[in-house]
Amino acid sequence: MSHPRVFRIVAIFCAASLLAAACGDDDTETGADTSVPAEDDASADTTPTTAGEPEAAAGFDGGTIRLGVLVPLSGLPSLIGNPLAAGQEAYWAYVNEELGGIAGRYQVEVVLEDTLYEINTTVQKYNKIKDNVVLFAQVMGTPHNQALLPLLRDDNIVATPASQDSMWIREQQMLPIIAPYQVDVINAIAYYLDEGGGSVDDTICAVVENDVYGEAGLEGLEFAADHNGFDLAQVSRFDLGDSDFTAQITALKNASCDLVFATALPSEFNGLITTADTLGFAPRWIGQSPSWVDVFAGTGLIGYYQEHVWIVATGPGADPTASEFHELLYSYRPDQKPDNYFVFGGYQARAVHQVLEQAIERGDLSREGIIEAMNGIKVLDFDDVIGDYGFGPPEDRDPSRLSSMFEVDPSKAFALGALKVNFTSDAAEAYEVPGGR
Amino acid sequence: MTRSSANRSLVRSHRDDVRLWRTVSPWGVGILVVLAVMAPFHTSDFQNTIAVYAGVAAIGGMGLNLLTGFTGQVSLGHAAFLAVGAYTGAYLGQELELPLLLWLPGAALAGALVGAVVGPFALRLRGNYLAIITIGLVFIAQHVFANWTSVSGGQNGRSVTAPVAVGPVDFASLEVLGRSFTRDQGFVFLVWGLVGLVALTMKNLTRSRTGLAMQAVRDRDRAAEAIGVRLARYKVLAFVLSSSLGAMAGALHGSYQRYIHPGEFSLTVSITYIAIIVIGGIGIVFGPILGALFVTLVPRLIEEISPSLPFVSTDTAGGGFMTVFSLNQAIFGLLIVLFLVLEPRGLAAMWLRLRLYFRAWPFSY
Repeated sequence: MSHPRVFRIVAIFCAASLLAAACGDDDTETGADTSVPAEDDASADTTPTTAGEPEAAAGFDGGTIRLGVLVPLSGLPSLIGNPLAAGQEAYWAYVNEELGGIAGRYQVEVVLEDTLYEINTTVQKYNKIKDNVVLFAQVMGTPHNQALLPLLRDDNIVATPASQDSMWIREQQMLPIIAPYQVDVINAIAYYLDEGGGSVDDTICAVVENDVYGEAGLEGLEFAADHNGFDLAQVSRFDLGDSDFTAQITALKNASCDLVFATALPSEFNGLITTADTLGFAPRWIGQSPSWVDVFAGTGLIGYYQEHVWIVATGPGADPTASEFHELLYSYRPDQKPDNYFVFGGYQARAVHQVLEQAIERGDLSREGIIEAMNGIKVLDFDDVIGDYGFGPPEDRDPSRLSSMFEVDPSKAFALGALKVNFTSDAAEAYEVPGGR
Repeated sequence: MTRSSANRSLVRSHRDDVRLWRTVSPWGVGILVVLAVMAPFHTSDFQNTIAVYAGVAAIGGMGLNLLTGFTGQVSLGHAAFLAVGAYTGAYLGQELELPLLLWLPGAALAGALVGAVVGPFALRLRGNYLAIITIGLVFIAQHVFANWTSVSGGQNGRSVTAPVAVGPVDFASLEVLGRSFTRDQGFVFLVWGLVGLVALTMKNLTRSRTGLAMQAVRDRDRAAEAIGVRLARYKVLAFVLSSSLGAMAGALHGSYQRYIHPGEFSLTVSITYIAIIVIGGIGIVFGPILGALFVTLVPRLIEEISPSLPFVSTDTAGGGFMTVFSLNQAIFGLLIVLFLVLEPRGLAAMWLRLRLYFRAWPFSY
């Protein structure tokens, strides 16, 4: 028997797999973030200043400020990456056209690179544009941000992670903009107990992803349990990419859970709900914001979702009329369908805008100048669309404690209808962010 | 034919037969070394980054080529060996604070051990069955590293701060004659230096008794056994050497990137390595080097030209019916098929033919 011949057969099979994958439809769900807003036409710090003219620096030629955006524009993760980057582009289009640029005189140019959601490609693209940008206004993917962190430290560049992980809060090179996942969980439990018909005597359970995201959700839930005086009856875990959730759902069902908090991404969350429906298990579900994408509204499970599922997120959601900021953002992207990630991209751009205004006011757009400007900002202001973020040096950062609850409603934007927007709880106020004072 | 090339080809004694540089012109190597040393001075960090990843892929590719190209053992599990090397290197270099000269061989050794465990399966299984077994290896490795959190960091991944110094020479902050080099430039020197070393070793291994035995196993294992080649020894040895090189590549990958995640070592990576040796040239020592350069550079090239292709979506507005990612995958799949059908020995064979043509020029034979 000829081995090269067998090898050829295997290699052709592999090649055919690649071709098949390439020809496949890129639409599907995915997951990852929150919603959020920030309103108004003249964001707080956008008035032109008279401070010294900043000198040319990396990414700034004296007239145009270039900002890096590293997101997946290809493959499944592009379902999140595309709207995230579109939110950035819409916001900067507004700044350039309506405000005449940052500080009324410096136009902004977005340098967009496709990371393919691959870590090594992200590193390559970072190196490709790092010398040509003032900072990275958006980097998607927790592991991708983790891979870039040592490079950011070496190059003293700031990046805005498109993620709610708490690990970024105390990092000097990072510009996080909203509350970590823990806060959303704590507020969701408070809502369930105070207004959702739940009680501390209920059987409260969790099903979480086996990674840093799942641990964040579980940490918030454990804090809520301690604060409110209940025990977690059952905690089930699953791995990213799992497709069979029978064991997890059976364990939750056997524990007779009244409430199940799920920290998951869309494909796994949908798998959990499908299995629960199949096994006749119907507790109250609360999903963390990245669990949800609006394609679920078009599935046969919509009835179950509507009856049993709530989603906790940040801000008023994706509704284009939710705030002036939303209206403004969507007006610069009229073809954009309502999407939480689009709005989140806009919030990130708004936060970066405030940092750049501060840097220009100080007359320094160098990398050191950006760090100083970031540390000099007391509050990242989102005009009450989402909660303000106590900023400054990493040790002083104090994220917002506001969250919002949504029910599944196919008639609403992003198929989510608001139950309660921008509320906090005693437990959330009492929660200390990791590494905080 | 020139006198020097005639001398290279003519074997007149045992000494000629075993000399290290028999198959490679010292002048050619010298020119390549000079070019390699000069190149980082004229390239950006972006280009150096691509060069480093290509070099890492070349080392791993040469490992797979030894197993598949020279010994005929089909493997789709190369990503698992990369993962073993990446995590071992990270652990030895970071947790145990071992220097480069210990953590890199340590990672290669760990890969070799895993290869020694997997190798015996090749004694009972061949062809498609062996391919399936090695696919399983990828899933096992991913599961282990996703859950062995104390070493791998689990699904969170882990940072890697393994030192890359050899004595006073630190490749992360290289300084030569008062001139400083960036980390990326330093890694180009390190990785491509190793590529040269591995290629030289491979070149000489494949013409040694061991290498010839491996090729006999590849060409007709039963016949090889009949003339005295011990199949068990050479099949297992091929797995051991191949996996150790794969592990070395993984360790270098982690060390350069300073962060590794279990998701990086998926079946797709194994298939990419298959593409590297198929496109580069199966069973030709420098084939994987060409293949690695091709596989690493072509996606970047496709990205550069994609904006001018109306059917490719390259921005947030969408448009086009396929993305750059899809186009890359399609082109890779197509290239593998085309190379297998039209030029099974890959880019390397094309280069060899071209060289032969000019060597014989103006004669056509």
